[in-house]
Amino acid sequence: MSEFDSLLQGMNLILTPGHIGLMVIGVLLGILVGVLPGLGAPNGVALLLPLTFTMSPVSAIILLSCMYWGALFGGSITSILFNIPGEPSSVATTFDGYPMAREGRAAEALTAAFSSALIGALAGVLLLTFLSTKIAAFAMSFSSPEFFAVYLLAFCTFIGMSKNPPLKTVVAMMIGFAMAAVGMDTVSGNLRLTFDQPILMTGISFEVAVIGLFGIGEILCTVEEGLVFRGEHARITPMVILRTWAKLPRYWWTIVRSTLVGCWMGITPGGPTAASFMSYSLARRFSKNRDNFGKGELEGVIAPETADHAAGTSALLPMLTLGIPGSATAAVMLGGLMIWGLHPGPTLFVEQHDFVWGLIASMYLGNVVSLIVVLATVPLFASILRIPFSIIAPIIIMVCAIGAYSVHNSFFDVVLMLGFGALGYLFKKLGYPIAPLVLAAVLGDKAEDAFRQSMLFSDGHLGIFWSNPLVGSLTTAALLMLFWPLISKALQTLMGLRKPQVVKPKSVL
Amino acid sequence: MSHSSDSPALVGTRWVELGLTVFTALIGVVVMYGSVEQGIGWGDAGPEPGYFPFYIGLMLSAASVANGVLTLVRWQALSIAFVSRSAFRQVLSVFIPIALFVAAMPLTGIYVASACFIAWFMWRDKVRAKPYGKLMIGTVSLGAVLASYLIFALWFKVPLDAGPMGDWIALAGRNFK
Repeated sequence: MSEFDSLLQGMNLILTPGHIGLMVIGVLLGILVGVLPGLGAPNGVALLLPLTFTMSPVSAIILLSCMYWGALFGGSITSILFNIPGEPSSVATTFDGYPMAREGRAAEALTAAFSSALIGALAGVLLLTFLSTKIAAFAMSFSSPEFFAVYLLAFCTFIGMSKNPPLKTVVAMMIGFAMAAVGMDTVSGNLRLTFDQPILMTGISFEVAVIGLFGIGEILCTVEEGLVFRGEHARITPMVILRTWAKLPRYWWTIVRSTLVGCWMGITPGGPTAASFMSYSLARRFSKNRDNFGKGELEGVIAPETADHAAGTSALLPMLTLGIPGSATAAVMLGGLMIWGLHPGPTLFVEQHDFVWGLIASMYLGNVVSLIVVLATVPLFASILRIPFSIIAPIIIMVCAIGAYSVHNSFFDVVLMLGFGALGYLFKKLGYPIAPLVLAAVLGDKAEDAFRQSMLFSDGHLGIFWSNPLVGSLTTAALLMLFWPLISKALQTLMGLRKPQVVKPKSVL
Repeated sequence: MSHSSDSPALVGTRWVELGLTVFTALIGVVVMYGSVEQGIGWGDAGPEPGYFPFYIGLMLSAASVANGVLTLVRWQALSIAFVSRSAFRQVLSVFIPIALFVAAMPLTGIYVASACFIAWFMWRDKVRAKPYGKLMIGTVSLGAVLASYLIFALWFKVPLDAGPMGDWIALAGRNFK
């Protein structure tokens, strides 16, 4: 069956009033968590997970993925109107979005942000539509060593490409792996790392960690910074929308470049945050209006937004085909898939044909729905941010606590959430990344299984990871990525010896 | 909620950095210890359960120690304040109530604890020119709790522990019928 037929079939599946209603709810909830401080796409999805257990997987993934799109859109509202990034990935949007709002061009900035975001997202979905079956078919030939090598590549890329210190990334990641190991061993059935505490038998859920690290940790940071919401007002009229749309074609090259950057960073575990920063700095470097960047340049809004959304959607490509999420939110969704009893990876495309194509079709529709909903509801969500912090904060904390409790109906999870909250605060302040921890907590068991299977094949020799050209090149690429900071430094010194002028380091990578 | 940034520093960043590396190193040690208990070698059925986690613990401890060494190397540069006293007071003024809220949840049930938590948080906010009225506090806290009951317990069938209060209401309801 061709991709197009499958897509039509998926469209057929999701074009029901119930599913479209779920989309709108998901988008609204997503914008809400994107706008509110302390809540973001990863923990929004984690909070919603327990509520989806009674739904069919297709409905559940529509709700969760639309929440993700909504959160990506919602993050731009706060960036532009309040100069507060609701999501880490929309930090780059504040650079030019907020100055535009100060000049009274908020509606123009918002329209440009949302529209370019939609273009980026649709490009990501197109990529997903036409590449995913091919990658999945290719990955069908993978066995355990190949899978472990792919996991290794993902984790090493995180370490090597992160803007956080590599050793701190390793620490965060290993804590995630350790968390995943707590509880029943999937191979032998033994209880591990529980130290005879019955409370640890079910393991430490990644949802609880996400809610604590992102939610409570973020609230504590917000309080410490003494955040004051003083935003600009915006009313989006059809006239402004049309006028802004008329301007967009002028920036086609920026959009294309940002889309490429976004898709690449989304597929590799660079994630939307790195994508938006990189796209912004590229746009500034190549723009004719370079001097106007940071003072309210439309191009400076379009570039990060396009890349952000392109990365957000294409992050689902490795998640669906290989079982490796490209962003923290995709990691949480992957965890959800496993809880629903699905096995992310190449077999998903064969066994769960309806699910996969329902999801892909819903991504086309969901992003269009997002654009309409977000354009219509900007004033509403902007007014939510004007509610005083002393009302919003306790409600957010309550929602987090209930969310953590409802994972296993256990109060111990709420205590864990609090612990993770404190850890999240320290992590943020000291430059430890949180996303690798989440990724490792979700993938830990699968990575371990793949590793142990490989060791069984080879009788404990690591040579199996170089036993054929495919697995060998994957493993070698992983090691290259791992030592990339050292390699690039060495290269820079070599270049520096040849050319005396100092190479300005990229701010993002 | 603004604070003066020039208030005295509570603790240097270096001490917090060092403390966290010690903490993560200890987690690594605990993980290794737990793995050794399970056996980290090669059993009849291939790798034993502790085989993989042991190396995770080892890498965690090693990376933590390396982070600690890096902190010591940059000891002078890291003398900057981690957090000012007044900012930390703000953080504690939120963290301690959350801790109390979490501690109260098993005793009073989720609903009562949440309502009290929200009400206290609003009542305590003296930064505002005009404090919230009693009616406002009551409406917001009870409204939020009612909404969470409707959404979680009623619509999505995720039961939330209502504590003794829930038992009383259930009992009263049964007697009423």
